[in-house]
Amino acid sequence: MWDDSVATRPEGAPAVAPQSAGVRLAIVDSDSGFVRVLTKRLEAMGWQFRTLAAPVPPDELVAMRLNAIVVDLALLGPRSWEFLERVCDAIPGLGVIVCTERSSVAQRVRGLRLGADDWITKPCHPEEVIARVEAVARRRRRAAARTDAGPLVVGEVEIRPDQYQAFVGGQTLDLTRREFELLQLLAEAPGQVLQREEVYQRVWGYAMAHGDRSVDVFVRKLRQKLEAASPGWRYIHTHFGIGYRLDPESKLAADTEEPQQEPEESRVTSGP
Amino acid sequence: MRLFGRGATDDRVLVLLEESGANAHRASAMLRDMLAGFPERSELARDILLCEQEGDRIAHDIIHRLNEPGSRPPYDARDLHALVSALDDIVDYTEQTADWLGLYGVEAPMAQAEELSDVLTRATVAVEAALADLHAGDDLSVHLVEIHQLENDGDRLSRDAIASLFKNGIDPMVVIRWKDIFESLEQAIDSCETVAHLLEGIALKKR
Repeated sequence: MWDDSVATRPEGAPAVAPQSAGVRLAIVDSDSGFVRVLTKRLEAMGWQFRTLAAPVPPDELVAMRLNAIVVDLALLGPRSWEFLERVCDAIPGLGVIVCTERSSVAQRVRGLRLGADDWITKPCHPEEVIARVEAVARRRRRAAARTDAGPLVVGEVEIRPDQYQAFVGGQTLDLTRREFELLQLLAEAPGQVLQREEVYQRVWGYAMAHGDRSVDVFVRKLRQKLEAASPGWRYIHTHFGIGYRLDPESKLAADTEEPQQEPEESRVTSGP
Repeated sequence: MRLFGRGATDDRVLVLLEESGANAHRASAMLRDMLAGFPERSELARDILLCEQEGDRIAHDIIHRLNEPGSRPPYDARDLHALVSALDDIVDYTEQTADWLGLYGVEAPMAQAEELSDVLTRATVAVEAALADLHAGDDLSVHLVEIHQLENDGDRLSRDAIASLFKNGIDPMVVIRWKDIFESLEQAIDSCETVAHLLEGIALKKR
């Protein structure tokens, strides 16, 4: 498991296989015997995983920043297809492996057409489940690499996901990982206001505690670096009581239209 | 209006108590500034630590004077011992809060911590004013009432802040860090109230 319950690789355990490195997995299954055997193996391999004995809403799965999910549809009952469809729609980058008891061809076809990447029938060996998760994650990574091949350009800033860094005129902005993820998130939704809570959940991977000013502080740091590297532009705009919007504006153009200031939001105003 | 007549007692103890109150105010104001400008103003933790050491020095001087042979403390020595200890606690908890912000690797402040540090600062202003009036022999009640009110505010803020940490889905590391920090701030404010209680007792005995 991770963070509060991060499973670290026990001494003497085999090193994490390169193809599985970075896979964050959730297992949605109430079959305690199956879960115990699988998680023991995952722990030995040093994987980050979380077990869920009950289904959780897709937005909570988003917050877990998963790469893959192994789900037993039997646990979900009659709402299993709806859950599968909602998860696949909400998290297009998530690898979904259905691992469930004996099923019909029609059920398997339906599941795969709704967005599942693979279907395993119980009883099954944990090694096979892990290998299939690795294969799904590998395919996802390749697809993502193809999609993310080009840098993202906003104003004078070139965002390079392959290097986890942003550049202006070839000079690095020296962004920390958190700052880079924040910039990338905002840049992927140009012109859209992202709520502070949403930003926190997507970048930090957890729900934001009421009053937490992490997003404000990291926006401030990011602004300082953007301002230093690209002084002629204004990138991040504050929406008081809501959040932030990335919309590159040349200061020269903006000043000729209407001078305006972008003070940083200093207080949390939304309720708990 | 002078409430108490003191006779030929050790006035220096009252001067030191005033210094202690001013030191507590200085430390809490720095913590408030540190939180408002966090993490850029993290270096204030060092200055708060110096206040904590200064507080220890003042407490030591007062205790030393109270225990000197032939000492004539202006008030009951046991009350003064307790008062020194409570004043020292204010600065100790303030310094502990500043220290934990760094020790726990806090990346950004919480709005509730900023509010609590503001309440603490206002309480230490009242403590400082009460100690000045104690030295002058004036009525302390207005300051003591204010400290009690601020402690109530701090208690409510702290409870709400801690409760908000236990919403579903919050990073357990955030819960661990901030629960400790909120409690530390609350303890600093509680120590101000202890000072107020002791001053109230001293004032009543002298009537």
